[in-house]
Amino acid sequence: MTLRSRAASLLREPLVHFMIAGVLVFALLAGRAPDAGERRIVVNAEVVSRLLNRFTESFHRQPTPQEMDGLISDYVHEQVYYREALRLGLDKDDEIVVRRMRNKMIAIATNDAEAATPTDADLQKLLDKDPGRYAREPKVTFAQLYLGADSPATRAAARDALAVLRQGGDAARFAQAVPLNPRYEAADADSIGATFGDAFALALRKLPRGEWTGPVTSGLGLHLVRVDAVIAARPPTVAEARQQLANDWHEANVRKAEEEAYRKIVDGYDVVIEQPK
Amino acid sequence: MRRTAIIAALLLGSAFSLSGCDKIKQAVSGKSEIKVVETEFPERVFWGDTHLHTANSVDAFGFGNRLGPEEALRFARGEEVTSSTGQKAKLARPLDFLVIADHAEGLGATKALYDAPRLLITDPTLRRWYDLMHQGPKGSLQATGEMLQARSQNKLPGGLNDPAKAEERTRKIWNDHLDTVDRYNEPGKFTAFFGFEYTLMQGGNNLHRNVIFRDNKDRVAKIMPLDPTNELWPDKLWDYMDGYEKSTGGKVLAIPHNANLSNGLMFMMTDPSGGPMTAAQARRRAAHEPVVEITQIKGDSEAHPFLSPNDEFAGYGTAGWDLNNLLNSQPTKPGDLAGSYVREALKRGLILEQTIGVNPYKFGVIGSTDSHSSLSTADDNNFWGKHPGVEPGPTRATDGFVPGINSGRMNWQSLASGYAAVWARANTRTSIFDAIQRREVYGTTGPRMTVRFFGGWDFKGDDLKGDWVHAGYRRGVPMGSDLGGHKGTGAPSFIVSALKDPVGANLDRVQIVKGWVDKGGKSHEKVFDVVWSDMGKRKPVGGKVPAVGDTVDLTRATYANSIGAPALASVWTDPEFDPAMRAFYYVRVLEIPTPNWVSYDAVKYHLTLTPDIPRKQQERAYTSAIWYTPA
Repeated sequence: MTLRSRAASLLREPLVHFMIAGVLVFALLAGRAPDAGERRIVVNAEVVSRLLNRFTESFHRQPTPQEMDGLISDYVHEQVYYREALRLGLDKDDEIVVRRMRNKMIAIATNDAEAATPTDADLQKLLDKDPGRYAREPKVTFAQLYLGADSPATRAAARDALAVLRQGGDAARFAQAVPLNPRYEAADADSIGATFGDAFALALRKLPRGEWTGPVTSGLGLHLVRVDAVIAARPPTVAEARQQLANDWHEANVRKAEEEAYRKIVDGYDVVIEQPK
Repeated sequence: MRRTAIIAALLLGSAFSLSGCDKIKQAVSGKSEIKVVETEFPERVFWGDTHLHTANSVDAFGFGNRLGPEEALRFARGEEVTSSTGQKAKLARPLDFLVIADHAEGLGATKALYDAPRLLITDPTLRRWYDLMHQGPKGSLQATGEMLQARSQNKLPGGLNDPAKAEERTRKIWNDHLDTVDRYNEPGKFTAFFGFEYTLMQGGNNLHRNVIFRDNKDRVAKIMPLDPTNELWPDKLWDYMDGYEKSTGGKVLAIPHNANLSNGLMFMMTDPSGGPMTAAQARRRAAHEPVVEITQIKGDSEAHPFLSPNDEFAGYGTAGWDLNNLLNSQPTKPGDLAGSYVREALKRGLILEQTIGVNPYKFGVIGSTDSHSSLSTADDNNFWGKHPGVEPGPTRATDGFVPGINSGRMNWQSLASGYAAVWARANTRTSIFDAIQRREVYGTTGPRMTVRFFGGWDFKGDDLKGDWVHAGYRRGVPMGSDLGGHKGTGAPSFIVSALKDPVGANLDRVQIVKGWVDKGGKSHEKVFDVVWSDMGKRKPVGGKVPAVGDTVDLTRATYANSIGAPALASVWTDPEFDPAMRAFYYVRVLEIPTPNWVSYDAVKYHLTLTPDIPRKQQERAYTSAIWYTPA
């Protein structure tokens, strides 16, 4: 069934006729003959399809005929109350209405920005503006041998172990059994920092490549380290940082739209703030 | 009837939206093009919080929380945000994953009430809460306290939490929530899960569950969070989970929390009607709830001194939380405690298995915060409190748990706890979820200690000299697993290795907690000190290792790592093993004493505190157990 024929068939529903008749009766009782203007509530195909869409958006399915009747009935109730409330001036100086209107204006002002999709060029511009924020972290490939808490004895063990390692020997007997990996492959600075502490992650990048060195101090104690490769921090491509860029772009875009809209409107107003005497 | 219908319509309508808004988030949910590779076995531990509330939670908004899921996600990822009380907040270290678990019940309802036109709120109670909330933070706390009270007595006005009437509002919030969470989920870097809290409560007794989905939005958007009921067992939740898995092909699990506030109902020996638990019932529970939250801001549920009189470390974070149930509506009787604490539940599980053949309580453990401020903090020196009413400030240490409300608890009883540690093969929804499902997880009270725990039949001390992690996986099983059938003639042996938090305190000791059940069906427990710092000097006296010492300086809220050890490891063989008795083993790691958050506050705000307020603690990690079942 197409939307249009569905709406048409709804309009033929007896309940709908009954409700519309009810509206007329209500309007008569309210004291004034209905005219063709604001006191005429028409549930036409357009209204029905709007109600239908709202329902399907919320519930991801078509309403049953009973539910559709309910939606129409509710719509009529809403219009009756709403229009009568406006006629009685209930919207004036109502702080909730004022706040709603403000929110509605903001929503209208930012609607385009909310729905806007950034182009790659937009994201590239954002990326170029603050490359540090989006920089891919440096990655380090390294081997480490944990010796224990810093003490004269540990430092002595570090010297001995270093000598063994530099001669290509096996220094496993010096290692402490800890839940650390002997080798980390292209580990990013964040994850190294989380395991060893940030100072250690930083220190690694300054060590010579390809040779055992140390002891290097971490938040855990002393280590011997062999850094095999450092992939330097670099600005990412848009594709790599798309999510973060899009989140930031979106946030900034909405904020900008809101500020601009306000500035444009407030320019047309004469704001006088009277200081209390 | 008519009145509540009008209220519901109001609440519903106030989920204000313009057409077009719904398209928004899809437009920017472009994913970074990264492929995540799973490692062969878990190589690193991922840290997260499975239990965070935002302004969408009915009580969090009432408590004054104005930060939504987006701010919560940005904060967890390490960005600075402005808290609800206007203070700059930032984590010293980002988290690896986050589950925003807003209460399904009345999702967004307090915000809707707050935004509703007062003129049309005819229910006197709702109108009172509306007015209180608009008075400011104090009034808002008052309103929320009254709401919780009403909830415990099943006296909430219908308009506030009627699921049918609020469905459209809930839909809108849920769909927006899914979009936001997706925009911050970055496989390989940060995992943002979909989830919610099922706030099952029976007369104020805490039977809450956090529900976590393994799946992406295509599946999760097909369902809505489930409103809770008032039974003793979450059968309706399990039906819902089964229904979700069946209809979408997805996966979902539930995590019970705050057993300590359940007055014995969380881990019952019987079925809900008081009759014997059946094997089918036990199987159903175990299948849906693979882990339990063992520690969080509202106290610690590992063990209680009453239940474990020989464990001198059993009283951590229990004081004050063990007097009443969650909503302070029923006092806790000594007989209630056994059904409220995790260690006892693990023992009960063994007894039940011996009787009915299935262990309903074969669960792993994690820690999480249950923060209601959108700020997931568990570090004592950067603790943002349970909710905005107790964000950092000079009075929060001595305020009530909900300032101005007689909640039966003081805020200093809040723990800056905890986090979930997950041994996953990658930082993705599927990998982390699967690790939780197989219980390869542990919980800490905040510090990020790394703990490995393997059980097997042939581990020897020498294994620690080689590649013991590979050995652990190849010749044994990791935390959360079954030892498997008895092999050889010996006892099971365990590799345990613990490493301090790289920016935290040294370790005091590593313990293995064993529980078992004898042939008569009686359960037992014993805590073994396995390895500790300065073992040469700290000789056990009467079977107990002497205290590690204390370097805490309360005048400056500092401690020194001049005592304790950065790492402790050992291979431990059960000296009292009886192959005929079912048993479990889990690890507890203790830090040296450190100042608690109250002490950091005392220094920062120059407070003078009475001596009844604890100022130091020994923070800890609890691993999931390894179980032994006789053939």
